[in-house]
Amino acid sequence: MPWVTLSVDMFRSLQRLIIAVTFVVMVALLAGCASAPVEKGPRLQRENVQAVNFSGSWEMDYSLSDSTQDKLDVMARDLNRQAQRRAQSEGRRRPAGADMVMRNSAGPNSSSSVLGLARIADLITQSPLLEINQGRYKISVEREEDFSLTCEFYPGEMHKVETPFGTEICGWNGHQLVFELRLPEGLSIQHIITMGAAGQKLLIATTVLSSQVSFPFTLNRVYNRFEPGENGFQCQETLTRGRVCTTESR
Amino acid sequence: MYDRIALIECHVRRGTIAIVFAIMCCAAPLMAAGNGSGEKSPVDVGLVVFDPGIPVDQSSHSRLGIFPEIRKAEAQYMPVILRQVLIESGDWGVVRVLPEVLDSSELLVTGTIVHSDGLRLQLRISARDASGVQWLNQIYSGSTRSTDYPVSVPGDPYLELYQQIADDLAAVRQQKSAKQLATIRDIALMRYAMQLAPAVFATYLTRTPDGQYALQRFPAEGDPMLARVIRIRNQEYLFIDTVDEQYERLSEEMAPTYNLWRQYGAEQAIYQSEYQQRVASRGTQGRRGSFTALERSYNTYKWSKIHEQDLVELALGFNNEVAPTVMDVSGAVVELSGTLDSQYSEWRDILQRIFTLETGLVPAS
Repeated sequence: MPWVTLSVDMFRSLQRLIIAVTFVVMVALLAGCASAPVEKGPRLQRENVQAVNFSGSWEMDYSLSDSTQDKLDVMARDLNRQAQRRAQSEGRRRPAGADMVMRNSAGPNSSSSVLGLARIADLITQSPLLEINQGRYKISVEREEDFSLTCEFYPGEMHKVETPFGTEICGWNGHQLVFELRLPEGLSIQHIITMGAAGQKLLIATTVLSSQVSFPFTLNRVYNRFEPGENGFQCQETLTRGRVCTTESR
Repeated sequence: MYDRIALIECHVRRGTIAIVFAIMCCAAPLMAAGNGSGEKSPVDVGLVVFDPGIPVDQSSHSRLGIFPEIRKAEAQYMPVILRQVLIESGDWGVVRVLPEVLDSSELLVTGTIVHSDGLRLQLRISARDASGVQWLNQIYSGSTRSTDYPVSVPGDPYLELYQQIADDLAAVRQQKSAKQLATIRDIALMRYAMQLAPAVFATYLTRTPDGQYALQRFPAEGDPMLARVIRIRNQEYLFIDTVDEQYERLSEEMAPTYNLWRQYGAEQAIYQSEYQQRVASRGTQGRRGSFTALERSYNTYKWSKIHEQDLVELALGFNNEVAPTVMDVSGAVVELSGTLDSQYSEWRDILQRIFTLETGLVPAS
């Protein structure tokens, strides 16, 4: 029947159009990801008023935290699938499997770029212990073996620090505290800190973006609250005598 | 680099120059004035505790590198150093550090800390005599060299800056005749008397449209009312002298810690600057996007942050060590309560009441 023939033709045309549009959108999205990855984060609140107090001592719960290797495998699969879809949409045949990412040694989404991103994400989320001190307008997240994440949240002002080595922006997004670091080499890091419902768990979702990898790489680290043991003495820093400890109890 | 011996030597030099200058220049004009005023009477100086220059907007403190507690301590420390320099110059009468403005000071010096760290100090200094004439109003800047640290106590890495202030004040004083200086002293006493008993002393002074005071007449020698005023003023000076001892003690106790703080601050600033240069001059950064390149980018930021945060830690160490002493000074005078400046106000109120009881006169509002 003529109308059936027509609808099949229309369907094929429509299918080609959808594929073409999808391809264009994907390319645009990927280009967007690569050139301005930092714009993808959560929008920080302009009023910037603290919503949660994260103060306390926290230790990493390895059983609940992401495994970097597993995340890397997932990312590699995603990238391969994406590359396969792109190849199919271009009407070309490519060998299936993981070798698509691994074959490339340079350029965007190359094996070394993806591995580099995963390794840097692992490196900056290794701190097993956190000591968080939060006041009315300031927070300091002391991380073992790394610098402290610090933020000031005066109402109506976003905390932004620009140095020759990078730019730091932080603030509240609802009940989450967001730290963004924009560093040279197209590296962008975002830490989102969320408190568990009972106040005994802390989730830090760290997303790392590189201008050389089209996907962000996120590692979730879960921390449990703990009470540091009483050691029978109290210490404080001094300038002339260094760390001075007394036997006074807290 | 500077120490007390160097300072004394400097004053000896200045003293020699002053004598030569006096022989060459001063003798003739003084004789020519023909008023027989003779030697210039020394002017007493009141140094008000400095304005720490802390912006009200707390959110700007970290951006401007201001540690409020340290600034508050500096505001009490710096006038003491300036006081020592002025005393050692021998150009002045009694030099006191005042907890608050005393309008009837013969020469009142106020200061604001514009910038202060281990590398640079900037002070806005203003000086006005009792007649309302401005002697100084300018910003003084000083910077340190690496050889200024460690600071040998007693001494200060910015001694040249304080010296400059003292020299500038002395230069203005030099331009005043003995009669002018004597008038300043008389006006200061009359302003004090006017505050205690305006009904009696208001007519002794007039004010010009530009706010300056002119002496119309002076009570006769032996005037019992004036004798009471002088006695009350001496009581007030007694209080200030006691307070000054506290400031002196604070400055002595604070000096080792404060000098160390400035030294660390200077070292941090130099390190940051050199680090920045090293990073900028680095050759290969590793292939873009590789772990090496990303790690280098992160580590550069990490170390810059660690050094910045070290400074904050040091500030905390400073506060832990010095803040109790600052508080101790603020609460040092027994019987009176509150902070040092409120104690001073309280003391002045008591003196005012004593005077009123003795004379039956109504005080100024």
